[in-house]
Amino acid sequence: MTTVIMRTTARAIVPIVLVVAISLFVEGHNLPGGGFIGGVLTTTAFAIIYMAYGLDFLERGILGRDVDPGKEPSRDRVVVAYRRLFAYGFAIAVLSGLAPLLFGQPFLSQTFVVLEGIPLYDHLEVASALAFDFGVYCVVVGGLLTILSVVGAE
Amino acid sequence: MSPDQAVIVAAVALPFLAAALTPLFFRVLGEWTGFAGTLVALVSFGLLATQYGAEGTVTLPWIPSLEIALRFYVDGWALLFALLASGIGALIFTYSPAYMHGQSGLVRYYAALLAFMGSIIGVALAADLIAIFLFWELTSLCSFVLIGYYTADGSSQYAARMAMLVTVGGGLFLLVGLLLLSLVAGDVVGPASAFNLAAMLEHPDAMQSALRDRGLFVPVLGLLAVGAATKSAQVPLHFWLPNAMAAPTPVSAFLHSATMVKVGVYFVGRVRPMLLGSEWLLLFVTLGLTTMTVCALMAVASTDIKELLAYSTASHLGLMIAGFGFTSVYGAETGVFHLLNHALFKAPLFLVAGIIAHEAGTREIAKLGGLRRNLPVTAAITTIVSLSMAGIPPFNGFYSKELLYEAAVEASHHHDIGLLGWLYPAVAVFGSVFTVLYSLRFLSLFFGDRPDELGSVQSPPLSMLVPPAVLALLAAVVSVSPQLAVSVIVQSGLEATAIDPHEMHVGLPTSYSTPVGMSAVTIGAGVLAFPFYERLHDGIRSIPRTVPQSCPNWWYDAAVDGLTDEGRWLAGRVHNGLLRTYATWTLGATCVLAIGGFVAADAIEPTELGVEATVSIALVLLVAVVGALAVVLSDSHVAGVLTLSILGFMIAIFYILASAPDLALTQLVVETLVLVIFLLVIEEIPASYAIGLRRSVRDVALSLVVGATAFVTVLVTTSARPGGSTDIARYFVEHAVPDGGGSNVVNVTLVDFRGFDTLGELVVIALAAISILTLIVMRDSGDGGLIETRAGEELLEDEPTPEESADEPHATDELTADEPADETRVADEHAGDDSFGSPPERGPTEETDGESSRGDSA
Repeated sequence: MTTVIMRTTARAIVPIVLVVAISLFVEGHNLPGGGFIGGVLTTTAFAIIYMAYGLDFLERGILGRDVDPGKEPSRDRVVVAYRRLFAYGFAIAVLSGLAPLLFGQPFLSQTFVVLEGIPLYDHLEVASALAFDFGVYCVVVGGLLTILSVVGAE
Repeated sequence: MSPDQAVIVAAVALPFLAAALTPLFFRVLGEWTGFAGTLVALVSFGLLATQYGAEGTVTLPWIPSLEIALRFYVDGWALLFALLASGIGALIFTYSPAYMHGQSGLVRYYAALLAFMGSIIGVALAADLIAIFLFWELTSLCSFVLIGYYTADGSSQYAARMAMLVTVGGGLFLLVGLLLLSLVAGDVVGPASAFNLAAMLEHPDAMQSALRDRGLFVPVLGLLAVGAATKSAQVPLHFWLPNAMAAPTPVSAFLHSATMVKVGVYFVGRVRPMLLGSEWLLLFVTLGLTTMTVCALMAVASTDIKELLAYSTASHLGLMIAGFGFTSVYGAETGVFHLLNHALFKAPLFLVAGIIAHEAGTREIAKLGGLRRNLPVTAAITTIVSLSMAGIPPFNGFYSKELLYEAAVEASHHHDIGLLGWLYPAVAVFGSVFTVLYSLRFLSLFFGDRPDELGSVQSPPLSMLVPPAVLALLAAVVSVSPQLAVSVIVQSGLEATAIDPHEMHVGLPTSYSTPVGMSAVTIGAGVLAFPFYERLHDGIRSIPRTVPQSCPNWWYDAAVDGLTDEGRWLAGRVHNGLLRTYATWTLGATCVLAIGGFVAADAIEPTELGVEATVSIALVLLVAVVGALAVVLSDSHVAGVLTLSILGFMIAIFYILASAPDLALTQLVVETLVLVIFLLVIEEIPASYAIGLRRSVRDVALSLVVGATAFVTVLVTTSARPGGSTDIARYFVEHAVPDGGGSNVVNVTLVDFRGFDTLGELVVIALAAISILTLIVMRDSGDGGLIETRAGEELLEDEPTPEESADEPHATDELTADEPADETRVADEHAGDDSFGSPPERGPTEETDGESSRGDSA
């Protein structure tokens, strides 16, 4: 599948997909979107990269590290990073749930504030749920990419 | 005097805490960890001793709103048993370092022993039915670990599994009985005390009347009896106890003579005031006396000293069960007093057996004798406790056996039991004769002739001599002054188990009475029959050889072997390594359960199917149906995958038209990702393959069943909302902005209102990733799976069927070497697909969004 057309198309659409994914994640509290949808779309972007450039592209082409061809896929450093990503994501979600306990509120309570007088936006609402949703985002991206990279290596 | 909550909780919790810290103890103390256990046991004993004379309930609230609490009840009966456990525990821990010297796995041994002691104290003190059951099963679990201590030994594994199956299985009967009891208790003592055994025992007459009124008396009695019988090794469920002798001897002395096997007896005594009656008499006396006699016979037939003691233990447990079974006060006196006496003479006998095995190198009775010269102190100990076991006056075992005779004679005065009125006393005497026989045989190990092949016998270390000596000394004290034991502890135990207790008096008989005559006959017959011991021994041993079915062990082996064969056959059918087999079973079972659930709940109702679809929705669904058919009919994977994605995108458009944008977006992104993954994987599978007709028919049938189930499920779940939306849905819509600060109701529900549920979904995703990672890694490390897969494949293909013959050429093609590898790759693909195709988060999204959509429409 690593054809010239595929690579050219991937080069064009991956950045767009990533921007859309981040946008969906950020606006999820008020418009369709959220951590899960943003996460799945981010994973799609990575999948397109894998499909167009191969599994080793991230490490060799972007991170500039050599990859041992015979190495087990589960031991590659980028896979380790994916595993850490969903572990950290889960930790973020749990910690954002524990934080309310410090304020005498039940586990996983949420709140929001509206900031006024912001240039350009006039007002900006910041919800504590964003942290929890970020945890969701990280778990989805980390988990799906782990599965994708390990199965794809077969 | 009320019990002190902190002291009681500490007494129960301390052994468990010590068990958790055992690895640390072992690192510091090494093999001396046993003495740390001694200290823990002594502290528990001391804590319990401070509660002497106390009576009452201690409550630890757990979930106050549901009135769920952990309750402990303290009285004489509970204290007797708990003090017995911690006291003998201290001696066992003192004995263990020398006996277990040089063994491996001591951390596991001591930790399990400590946890076991805590469990027994818990059983003794627990007043909550659920707590009783939990501690009860915990003793079985610890027993399993300790019986199987020699993990590399086949007989150890066999014995541990057997004990586990029998005692845990019996525990389930107990659980059902306790639940039925709580149903009735809810009416008698109030819902808040439905599980409070202490509250029930305060109203024994009301409890029994209520049980009889609801027709549950006999079922509850039977269930509790089975539970107690398995725990206390009553015939025919006694066979696990001799096998349990595979455990180290300190374990046998502690668990399988003094404490665990008495849990059933203890519980029978505990519930006796509530269930006493003619049914109780017939059930427990028959059970107990049968066990007493049969196991005494088996003890005579034993060839191993621990086997002899195991059967003897079961026999004496039968004596206690029979004692509690008799409804007069003598029965309760028998049970309580013999619980104490038996512990005082049987535990040291096991320790003596351990000394013999340790110093003489064998446990075979025929190879032992004349040991008194090498083991003079041990011989003295054995004399006291063996004669006590035989029930010869003035030793302590005599007094409680005498009480049994008294109760047996008294039984016909209280109940019209006809023939049983003299049969019970006769059987009791008959069983006791054999008790005298095997007790004298055990004693002859020290006083008989010394076999020539017996080698040198060493003197045991002091730490192995002190524990049995202490117990023998206690037995001697009770022998000389039985009334002292009665005053100190037995009397209060009696008051907890009898319905009309009075001052208990025991002592050497000073005048003739029927029980005295019975004892004289017992001892006389025993002594006269002893010279014929070997003939009796051989005669009893020949019975199982002639009739194997007379042994419960034979039935156990037959049942376990049968189940193993069935399991192997079933595994071959269900777990043949082919993904499509797993899918078939999974989907089929799910459909059966779903439809069965709906039918059981009577949820399926005739419903008018109003068709009000708009043109655009109808068009989208039509395209989806055409796409689905195209998937089935496509002849290449690429075409199939692309067509499948059309179906997915049509569903997304359907969601958009149904005013569910968030759900549509989820469907779109997931569908895109799945499509990309399909394209990534598609190169690895064959371009095409043929499927046999029989399999096609099966798949079509399964698909139709799954489709019908899905249809019925949607019908049932949507018709449950006649108003179009639920209160919770309206709540979410109204409160999303003011409480959650977001206008996307779906997202606000997921992260604000139902954050806990979403957190659970994260666990699912993480587990899916870890599972697939593990599967891939495991597969790379071995080729066994491939071989098994190929074997399974060939097995299926080789089935001769008329339908299959038409596809013979294709079958040949499928038997190529590449097939297993392809199957594995397909399995990988589907494993990944399952995780992507069914995002866990879609469930709440779909449900909630559907609700909010209807809310919007309203």
